[in-house]
Amino acid sequence: MPSTRTRPIEKFAKATAKCSAEAAAYGKCVVADYNAVHKDMCAREFMKLKDCFLAASKKV
Amino acid sequence: MSLHQLIRPVVRSRIPTTTTTTTIPATASSCCLPPRRNYAMQTPGNPVMEIFNRRVKHLQKERAAQNVDESRKTDYLKDEVAMRLCERLLDIKRTFPQVLDLGANSCNIARALTTPLPDETSPTGTAEALAHRISHLTCIDTSAALLNRDLALPFNSSLPITRQVVPDLETLPYAANSFDAVLSSLSIHWINDLPSLLAQVNKILKPDAPFIAAMFGGDTLFELRTSLQLADLERRGGVSPHVSPLADVRDVGGLLNKAGFKMLTVDVEDIVVEFPDTFALMRDLQAMGEGNAILHREMAPLSREVLLANEAIYRALHMEDGARGVPATFRLIYMIGWKEGEGQAKPLERGSGQLNLKDILGGGDFEQK
Repeated sequence: MPSTRTRPIEKFAKATAKCSAEAAAYGKCVVADYNAVHKDMCAREFMKLKDCFLAASKKV
Repeated sequence: MSLHQLIRPVVRSRIPTTTTTTTIPATASSCCLPPRRNYAMQTPGNPVMEIFNRRVKHLQKERAAQNVDESRKTDYLKDEVAMRLCERLLDIKRTFPQVLDLGANSCNIARALTTPLPDETSPTGTAEALAHRISHLTCIDTSAALLNRDLALPFNSSLPITRQVVPDLETLPYAANSFDAVLSSLSIHWINDLPSLLAQVNKILKPDAPFIAAMFGGDTLFELRTSLQLADLERRGGVSPHVSPLADVRDVGGLLNKAGFKMLTVDVEDIVVEFPDTFALMRDLQAMGEGNAILHREMAPLSREVLLANEAIYRALHMEDGARGVPATFRLIYMIGWKEGEGQAKPLERGSGQLNLKDILGGGDFEQK
């Protein structure tokens, strides 16, 4: 079944790719202390990433 | 999750449980004694760990095969492993009248067997395909759609293939001593009860016949496993299993040994595939029919937040500097075991060595400086 529809995950990937700086900051924050990760440890960095992603996904 | 949920007695035999009927002497039953009741009992078998949901796995394979284009495109790994597996047959100078492909997926092994092998000495540059040494190949799998996906392709005409859909790969519907070789490529990592399956394989093989298999093991997708764990922890405060538990290389030798195989060979190989991003990796896994099918997993799909976090963490943790994409490791365990047979080479008795290896190989003492 060849479909011309873009899957939601593809849009998701495209929007994520536009936020590499924010993603790198968040990744760095989690990996810096990956033996003691707890909930919302990097909430601030994640919210920045999420805001960027939401803005980017509107344009995709 | 209690232990009780994890372990349940296996109820697999179709044989109805026999109720023991004891004949009560006529005198006793006539008046005074209270009526004796007998209970139908089933002796509990060995408890079997249920790890994977077979129905989910079946559905995933069926769905993946519906999309023929995507499914063929993502066969790169299975085709490659099937080729490498079939190369191992070159070392065995025999013909195989009856061969079983256990968990055939889309008959990748049949395709590999019919591919001509490169050979520098021959004028055409290729040698005859391995298929000429095999008279008949039986391919079994649980998913009809995946098994019959490539029914119309040309490789089917160069080897007599029987495709058989079985309800469950864990019980093999064959008589003892019926196959000259059993091959299996990238399937048995979804088996719940590997010891039992291996014992069955050993049973259906003819004496002195090989079992050659490749499976995902140990560190397969460790990048995805770790980054999803971290993403789950940071976003939601807990972990749910996303990547299957897999057998380790150390375990495989013991498993084969326990199933009665002789002259074991186990080796490991890593194939690292680079993907543009983690979404491409997960999409490909889905199209391969290799999605998560752990029994006690969270049923909902990954949330968008975790997906987003995972992408960032995967890159930070596993991407090498200057690389274009993210790496995903597939660790393959190849195993060869032979069913015991007459005239087979056997290891000598322990302690029966006549020569000191040091005399032959040389080498000095450790203490020497």
